[in-house]
Amino acid sequence: MNYMPGTASLIQDIDKKHLVLLRDGRTLIGFLRSIDQFANLVLHQTVERIHVGAKYGDIPRGIFVVRGENVVLLGEIDLEKESDTPLQQVSIEEILEEQRLEQQAKLESEKLKVQALKERGLAVPRADTLDEY
Amino acid sequence: MEGAGSRTGSGNRSLEDCRLDEDEDAFQALGEEDEDIDQFNDDTFGSGAVDDDWQEAHERLAELEDKAAAGAERDGDGGDPLGEHEDTLAERLTRLVIESELEDPAVMRAVQTRTPAQPPAGLHSGLWDGSAVLRRMRAPLLAQEMPPVSVLDYALPPRAPQNREEERDPSERALPRRSSSPVIGSPPVRAVPIGTPPKQAAVPGFNQQILCPKPVHIRASMQQRYPAAYGERMSPNQLCSVPNSSLLGHPFPHSVSPVLSHLQRAQLLGGAQAGRMSPSQFARVSGLVGSPLPSVNPKLLQGRVGQMMSPASGFRAFFGAPAASQPPPGPGCHLQSLRPPAQMFRPDTTHLHPQHRRLLHQRQQQNRSQQRGLNGAAGDRGGHRSGPQEQPRKDPYANLMLQREKDWVSKIQMMQLQSTDPYLDDYYYQNYFQKLEKLSAAEEVQGDGPKKERTKLITPQVAKLEHTYKPVQFEGSLGKLTVSSVNNPRKMIDAVVTSRSEDDETKEKQVRDKRRQTLVTIEKTYSLLLDVEDYERRYLLSLEGERPALVGERKQKICDMYDNLRGKAPGQERPSDDHFVQIMCIRKGKRLVGRIVPLLSPEQAADVLLATARNLPFLIKKDAQDEVLPCLLRPFSHVLYHLPLATLTSLAQQLTNLPQSGSANPHLAAVLQNKFGLSLLYLVLSRGEELQSADGAAELLRDNAWTELVLLATRELLRAPPAAVAKPLAAPANLLALLSRYVDPQKLNALQTKLQ
Repeated sequence: MNYMPGTASLIQDIDKKHLVLLRDGRTLIGFLRSIDQFANLVLHQTVERIHVGAKYGDIPRGIFVVRGENVVLLGEIDLEKESDTPLQQVSIEEILEEQRLEQQAKLESEKLKVQALKERGLAVPRADTLDEY
Repeated sequence: MEGAGSRTGSGNRSLEDCRLDEDEDAFQALGEEDEDIDQFNDDTFGSGAVDDDWQEAHERLAELEDKAAAGAERDGDGGDPLGEHEDTLAERLTRLVIESELEDPAVMRAVQTRTPAQPPAGLHSGLWDGSAVLRRMRAPLLAQEMPPVSVLDYALPPRAPQNREEERDPSERALPRRSSSPVIGSPPVRAVPIGTPPKQAAVPGFNQQILCPKPVHIRASMQQRYPAAYGERMSPNQLCSVPNSSLLGHPFPHSVSPVLSHLQRAQLLGGAQAGRMSPSQFARVSGLVGSPLPSVNPKLLQGRVGQMMSPASGFRAFFGAPAASQPPPGPGCHLQSLRPPAQMFRPDTTHLHPQHRRLLHQRQQQNRSQQRGLNGAAGDRGGHRSGPQEQPRKDPYANLMLQREKDWVSKIQMMQLQSTDPYLDDYYYQNYFQKLEKLSAAEEVQGDGPKKERTKLITPQVAKLEHTYKPVQFEGSLGKLTVSSVNNPRKMIDAVVTSRSEDDETKEKQVRDKRRQTLVTIEKTYSLLLDVEDYERRYLLSLEGERPALVGERKQKICDMYDNLRGKAPGQERPSDDHFVQIMCIRKGKRLVGRIVPLLSPEQAADVLLATARNLPFLIKKDAQDEVLPCLLRPFSHVLYHLPLATLTSLAQQLTNLPQSGSANPHLAAVLQNKFGLSLLYLVLSRGEELQSADGAAELLRDNAWTELVLLATRELLRAPPAAVAKPLAAPANLLALLSRYVDPQKLNALQTKLQ
């Protein structure tokens, strides 16, 4: 049954594997089991995938219920092409460590930037606190 | 008052003596004051309340309950509580309110969602008399059988599973409540989703199986067994009864290992946790399995322990290669104990629905014959069956979202698309699909290919109704309720526009205001323009009689636009181009002019052209950042080709600013340096040339002005350094011919180079 052709409706996506990007920057991969009119999602056998550079790590999470307003985008994963990726999978500990290092590096560069701006008497641009990503 | 407590059962009571039936205790105290209360509030206690005997009502309700229970069995979900709810609620509310036109949909919606605290579904709508709503809601509830799933269920707190288990026969139940979740965190996975319709003879077979288990075939390696994926599912009942059942194992071995261990723990603990699980049979099953059956359990556990994997790798394996070797699930020993499947099927697989088994059997035979052709060895796997079409079949969690729920969501989405004027509300969508259709129609015309049926979304069209909002009135109340909602907002702030006097303003403010005025004018003119451009469509849609009126409107609007552009005419003369220039300084204004010019009459268009030419250097200067002037070229060229000679000459004059003749002509120089200016000049010249060659030329030659102009233009062209001369958008071909008439060959060559 063709639900709402020509529109973006999630009904056809049910029971398929999806990649969901959230507003806080997390990437979830799971089977889309249920939706509603606000695009709240129920993801089954969800895995949170952390990407750092060319590596990624998966953390199994189980069932996720995501409030629709927090979804940035989502897309169906082609199961056949899924393994066809240049990225390298590593263990959870390793990827978390990598993430931590990346965060540290970012903080340091940010600090330097702020310092440099201060020296030149310029103001620091305020980031939007709603979306930290 | 003896009538308060007694229930004589006689139906001959007068209405005035009727007491409150259901909550006797609560109203016992009030019983003494009955007379007073009767007088005051007939609706609640007196004639308006109950039309019939409480006993009759009760019997009716009891009947309904049975019907509802039967209905629930029959179609599995008690009818369509979603639709029913809305209908009966709406009906009730309309009866409740005096004026049945509750025009304000926002209020309607709010009232609807508030009133039904716990409305039982399946109640006869006739019982729901207007003012007796509240009373009615209480008593029948407890006895009422709620439909297993309804949209309100999700909002309700989960009921204790115990009463449900007791009152229902688990094998009869179709769909348990989804809201009752047994454990916090991930619930233990079931081999089969919660909403599995059970098999009929589950219960007797169950006991039998546990007591005399079939020999267990334990596999240490990972296998996928997909017992109940093909539409029909098995209840946990059956699955547990199989010794090697996937409930104890799991159908998705990789992914559910973490939960599996959880499950195992539950079993080991004697089902302490499992007892809280919602399907009652699950509880019983776990309990039973947990009980000592030494011949079965250790083996099972051993087998399962061997299969346990780390969660991460489990998930990875699951997500990694779903298309990897997937042996088919051969149906195992069936509950009805058909012949043991033996070698053909995998002996450790679970029970399958007979239909499923049959189909698998067929498939396997097919595959086997295939396999023999392919690789000869039948293998221990019985044939590979991978392929995209297999995937949905093997997913035991599929269709967690019922068709009914999908329809519900889709219904909501369609409701959101309702529109009285889709062309207005959803312009881009409509346009896009019209274009697509035109494309496909064009393609069809060209090639006789098969007609590609592109499914179209048919949006519901709602007739445009004018709603005048009338505030809600309740019977017996004094005055009107002011409910402020989205459709009639209450005025909170009195914002009055005060215009400042001219003296106080500073120069900057004046400038700013002027600019704002211009912007406002542009916007107004734009709306007019969009309306005018839309007339074609409206014309097609309108009736015959309306068309002249439409045409008249259109003309009027065009005149308005022109007035807007040039500024309101003070008298006959339009002394200043100021207004026009202001508009032309703004990028949007230039585009506006470009769109309006094709619609104007020739005189008006010429006027615009002249004004542009007159002020071209200034406009060029202002356009330096936007560079939008070239967009005017095309409409201007169209106008040019309809201009009479005199106008053309004066236009050229304007361009070259002839009246102010001097050796240095900054006006013309500026024009030449600008792409638009130069192109316009070329167009003018070429048009003149055309006219000349077409006309017999006598007129033009006699006209000194024209000749002068051309000479001036040529002189300027020659004088300007090549770098300064802009690259024109279009260099008309007959320019050279024109110029050759006036200049000598030497200069002509130089010009030629310049023109390239």
